[in-house]
Amino acid sequence: MSFAPRFGPSLCTAWITKPRVAWTAALCLTALSAATFSVRAADRSFADVVRNVQPKMVKIFGAGGYRGLTAYCTGVLVSPEGHILTVYSPTLDSRELRVHLYDGTRYEAEVVATEPQLDVALIKIRTPAELKLNDLPYFDITAPIPDVQPGDWVLAFSNLFEIATGDEPVSVQHGVIAAIAPLAARRGVHEAPYKGTVFVLDAITNNPGSHGGIVTTRRGEWIGLIGKEVRNTLSETWINYAMPIKDLRRFVEEARRGVYKRMPAPEDTTKIVQPLAEHGIVFVPDVLDLTPPYVEGVLRGSPAEQAGLKPDDLIVFVRLPASPGSSDYEERVVPSIKSFRQLTASLEPGTRIQIIVRRQQQLLTFDLTLAPRPKGNPAPAKKDSSL
Amino acid sequence: MRRQLAGWVGAVCLAWVSLAADVPPVVLQAQAHRQALIARVSPTVVAIFAASGEGGGSGVLISDDGYALTNFHVVYSPSSPFLYCGLPDGHVYEAVVVGTDPVGDVALIRLVPRHPGQKFPYAPMGDSDTVQIGDWCLAMGNPFLLASDFAPTVTYGIVSGTHRYQYPAGTLLEYPDCMQIDASINPGNSGGPLFNLRGEIIGINGRGSFDKRGRVNSGVGYAISINQIRNFLGHLRAGWLCDHATLGAVVDTDDSGRLLVSRVLETSDAFRRGLDLDSELLAFAGRPVQSVNQFKNALGIYPRGWRVPISFRRRNPDTGELERKDVLVRLMGAHATGQLTDILQRKQPRQPGQPPAPMPQVPATALPAFSDTLKRMYEARDGFANYYFNRLEREQLLTRFRRHSDARSLSGPWQLSGTFASGTRIQATLEVDTESAALTLADRRYRIEPLREGEASENLREPKGSGGILLLAYHWRRLLVLGEKGFEAAFHHGGWEPFYPKGIATRHMTEVLLSEHAGVSCKWYFDTTDGKLVGAECFPERDEDPCEVVFEDYRQVYGQQLPHRMIVRFGDKEYGVFTWNQWQITAKP
Repeated sequence: MSFAPRFGPSLCTAWITKPRVAWTAALCLTALSAATFSVRAADRSFADVVRNVQPKMVKIFGAGGYRGLTAYCTGVLVSPEGHILTVYSPTLDSRELRVHLYDGTRYEAEVVATEPQLDVALIKIRTPAELKLNDLPYFDITAPIPDVQPGDWVLAFSNLFEIATGDEPVSVQHGVIAAIAPLAARRGVHEAPYKGTVFVLDAITNNPGSHGGIVTTRRGEWIGLIGKEVRNTLSETWINYAMPIKDLRRFVEEARRGVYKRMPAPEDTTKIVQPLAEHGIVFVPDVLDLTPPYVEGVLRGSPAEQAGLKPDDLIVFVRLPASPGSSDYEERVVPSIKSFRQLTASLEPGTRIQIIVRRQQQLLTFDLTLAPRPKGNPAPAKKDSSL
Repeated sequence: MRRQLAGWVGAVCLAWVSLAADVPPVVLQAQAHRQALIARVSPTVVAIFAASGEGGGSGVLISDDGYALTNFHVVYSPSSPFLYCGLPDGHVYEAVVVGTDPVGDVALIRLVPRHPGQKFPYAPMGDSDTVQIGDWCLAMGNPFLLASDFAPTVTYGIVSGTHRYQYPAGTLLEYPDCMQIDASINPGNSGGPLFNLRGEIIGINGRGSFDKRGRVNSGVGYAISINQIRNFLGHLRAGWLCDHATLGAVVDTDDSGRLLVSRVLETSDAFRRGLDLDSELLAFAGRPVQSVNQFKNALGIYPRGWRVPISFRRRNPDTGELERKDVLVRLMGAHATGQLTDILQRKQPRQPGQPPAPMPQVPATALPAFSDTLKRMYEARDGFANYYFNRLEREQLLTRFRRHSDARSLSGPWQLSGTFASGTRIQATLEVDTESAALTLADRRYRIEPLREGEASENLREPKGSGGILLLAYHWRRLLVLGEKGFEAAFHHGGWEPFYPKGIATRHMTEVLLSEHAGVSCKWYFDTTDGKLVGAECFPERDEDPCEVVFEDYRQVYGQQLPHRMIVRFGDKEYGVFTWNQWQITAKP
């Protein structure tokens, strides 16, 4: 790592004198240990390590393909009989769950066990009774796990962007562990369920489909499972992280034996994090399952007021980014107030949306640019706020 | 306060020095190697600015006379072929587009020296087929057009995937068989080199997978493999607007994972060689193919017109038996004649998912006008990016050809006498002059007059089974005696192509001339080192098999090197071998 000795001193001074955020210190540690770590041949290719790991990786294809949810993800073989550890995601929610092994063999798979608290799932290759698998290459989750620290090199293996199918190998990225820290993140509007300590990486592993991929040491020893795409709630940046496998060991072992019992659900697992952006529409009281999205009023100075929405407008459609931050727009029917809130909850301030309303006998289109939510207590005076 | 601060900094520095002393020598060695490597290749990296002042990218010099590779989407402009380039020596150079490959997103440009005799630093090309996943790589270029002194930005990473297939936008900007890297690729990196740790170019960085981060690095960049570019280099140097190839057949995977032909063009060479519906494709150009992506990867790296071996299994139409065939096929163009030009004129191609590069820092008005020297290096022509360079390559080829053998003075009628062997050996005489060609085989005489009105087209194929050896001989004499003047419709350098004098195993690279005269096209293959004419193909009809000839046994006659053996092939069969004992050329009438 040539940057460390050349630029280290001055940068480090700055970091050490301002140790405000835990990460900053951790980043500094990265620089320090980058200068002290030892390798036998620093510039040697990872090709041998990669060749050894890749036969244990699988490409998973299932449900999804809409609203920013991919229909593909990654998994890792954890038994010679075809048990695969992956991330618990809507991709698995399919009767036609398929996996492609390293050699291109395609199998159907079924979910064996899931643990929402850890955000992981164990699935298994489904084969006819006469064709029992028992010799697949796999990672032994009970093997000793190397002790790693910030600054250590890692390799990340995942099928990000669905680049690989069939016998094409998954993608490999390199980086270092930037920090080992608790995960404070959110995915869409829901808090990420996994709350434990994670490896924060400087490799860009936070990409569509990389969840369920793995992180290894530079020697190919398995240390982590790449989680879902989540954002840090403090900085609003996409976070590259992996869950340490030592925390997943019991789940894998017990789920494999069919004896895993789910952790008790905490009180409010799907707590809605406050919507990020403000549109300023006040709806009529939401009293029915499908209360029609009639506008009761608009907040003063809000995007809705600026756009020209008026009381008694009935929202019929909304055009919004297909996934947060995407430039592809899709049109959605808005059958109810709840549906409007769900659709818009995860949008960022600055996102442009179009709202199509029925006003008397006309359909009118309004352009809104969502505003940042006011700081402090966001609740406006009116009873039904514009969340 | 100041002293305190100084003490602090000093302490940190001391701590640092002691830390640095702990660094294992192997790490320091690797670092020193990397630094030396970067210092060595940096001078070859080009910062490219479009003449319009809109957009820019990167490139890399590949020869000391100023040829540089970049992306098509960096240099393409419908209005001007001229560019400004900055080199790390701090100077701005004028440059002109030489050849383009819009499908492969590659362009060759040429920088003009600032003073006569100036040699450019350049980087060697490596072998991208030996690159392995996990290998270190260096991406260099001018991301975000950061470098005001043109010193390139270096990003360091590993190869994340090899033989990746990335879909085109429409029919352009396809990335078959490319390398995926995790070195940061950002706008402005386009066209810049990807180096291995030996300092060899293994690819040209051109695009990335972008998603929620807009179009900045997402850890997934793609580089066009240098081996693909090498296949096109002859065409690019010869100023072509290159087209990629199609087999003329569509393949799909069936349930058992076999690649079966689901559609095939009857005008394709593959069809004529026996590839039919439900044939199972086994290998393409020496690569086993088991998936559609593998096939697209294997096919996508070839220019139109190249001949490559394919292997397939099919049911023999006569016996009904399954049989394996290993044959050479000529690849068709992915686009019809003129179609590429039309597409480019219709719209400016855009990189899928990647808007054009950002504005350069240099305002267009501050740039000097292009010199006359540069302007003389451009000639517009349909089907070409810059015909000036075709002329240049063609003249150089003809010079080498005539140094080997200059038959321009042998302008009288030719008479070649000897034998013809096809199973049995018989007497043969070939007579060729400016109007006609005649062949006597034992007591049978064939004669054609290609320019005579009403000359029957089946006559031009005589003798039967030869595919038109008389016609080929007629064009051959024109090439040797008249050169450029003998071909009124076309006489172009055709780039580099493989030539197979004695079957698939005898492949070697040749330089090609394409000619057309009296409605008949010919393709001439020349040895790349000494310019010897080693073979020819003559196409009496488009979309039909040509008559093929291999010229051998060159010996001195009339002060020139002339062939004494001609192997003639047509379709799947060898027609026979002519052995000439005697050349007789009458003095000019």
